[in-house]
Amino acid sequence: MNRKPYRRELSKTSWFMTHQRYKSYMLHEISSLFVAIYAFILIIGLFRLGEGPEAWEGWLGFVASPIGVILHVLIFVFSIIHTMAWFKAVPQAMRIQRGEEIVPGKLIVGAHYGVLAAVSLFVLILAGVA
Amino acid sequence: METRDVTIEVLRYRPEQDSEPFFQSYTVPCEEHWVVLDALNYIKDELDRTLSYRWSCHMFVCGSCGMVINGEPMLSCKKFVRDFGDKIRVEPLSNFPIERDLVIVQDDFMEKLSSVKPYLIPKEERSIESGEYLQTPAQLKTYKQYTMCINCLCCYAACPQYGLDDKFIGPAALALAHRYNADSRDVGRSAREDVVASHEGIWECSFVGACSLVCPKDVEPAGAIQQTKFTSAIDYITGMVSGGGKK
Repeated sequence: MNRKPYRRELSKTSWFMTHQRYKSYMLHEISSLFVAIYAFILIIGLFRLGEGPEAWEGWLGFVASPIGVILHVLIFVFSIIHTMAWFKAVPQAMRIQRGEEIVPGKLIVGAHYGVLAAVSLFVLILAGVA
Repeated sequence: METRDVTIEVLRYRPEQDSEPFFQSYTVPCEEHWVVLDALNYIKDELDRTLSYRWSCHMFVCGSCGMVINGEPMLSCKKFVRDFGDKIRVEPLSNFPIERDLVIVQDDFMEKLSSVKPYLIPKEERSIESGEYLQTPAQLKTYKQYTMCINCLCCYAACPQYGLDDKFIGPAALALAHRYNADSRDVGRSAREDVVASHEGIWECSFVGACSLVCPKDVEPAGAIQQTKFTSAIDYITGMVSGGGKK
């Protein structure tokens, strides 16, 4: 008998709308853009600092402006999404074996949050906020 | 025995008469202990002999009855009808061509599976007289999780990367490659490298992670692929440092 397999194509532009987990995936992929934008803003700040007090003040002015604040809030929210998504994924990529036991994923994720909290606290102390 | 009427919507495709698939509904009097496969067997036995689907063991060992049930790839022998409402939608595994009804064409996967050399490649062949290849429980633990794969293909149905580009070697085959690479008795990593570490291999994976979520045997192919990426990247760097600069 002749075979006539039927092929269902996945839409290249809207496949991620077909399931909630694909939407979540796209959200944490997009979050990396905001992390990159923040890195870019910081690098610009570094250059401005090198250019002298006036340029530095200008950059500080931008950061504290309404657009700067809105941008920071957005970046903060997306950074949290980014952090949570990747921390959650760590145990899969980083499988640690001790003898005959695999270290539980919760422990690895917890350690990541612990280090994040410690580093954040250190930075806040350094900045004189905490 | 008390029964509950459940509407089973099945995606039908009969190549000799249909130009495209369509949904056909059956009302099935389901018993409390039935899995979705039992409902399909009822349809086949009592309502419509023309319905085609694959199954064998009915105890999630053989991996034959993978289907998309209410949008999720799963084994139809592992999902109880009572866990669903009054309507269950059953489709063939996504990302594969449909041969007939719920039967998919598996040829592409079979080729990919054999391309990763999913068997033990020992350092040297041993005669039967010289005994077993010995291994400690800890060495076994390193790869045992990845031996649980039953090739049910639920992971391929969940993987958008494979759906968008079927050149991708895909989750199950790469997880099996990792299973042998991680086996202390095996020295076949370099023999598998050309396929596994190629663009169509691990590097095509963007870590959506859906394969691990749908796997009925908790194999975690996504984890296996990320770990292979890590060792492959280390291989690349050590190759550059030692002057090889391979690939």
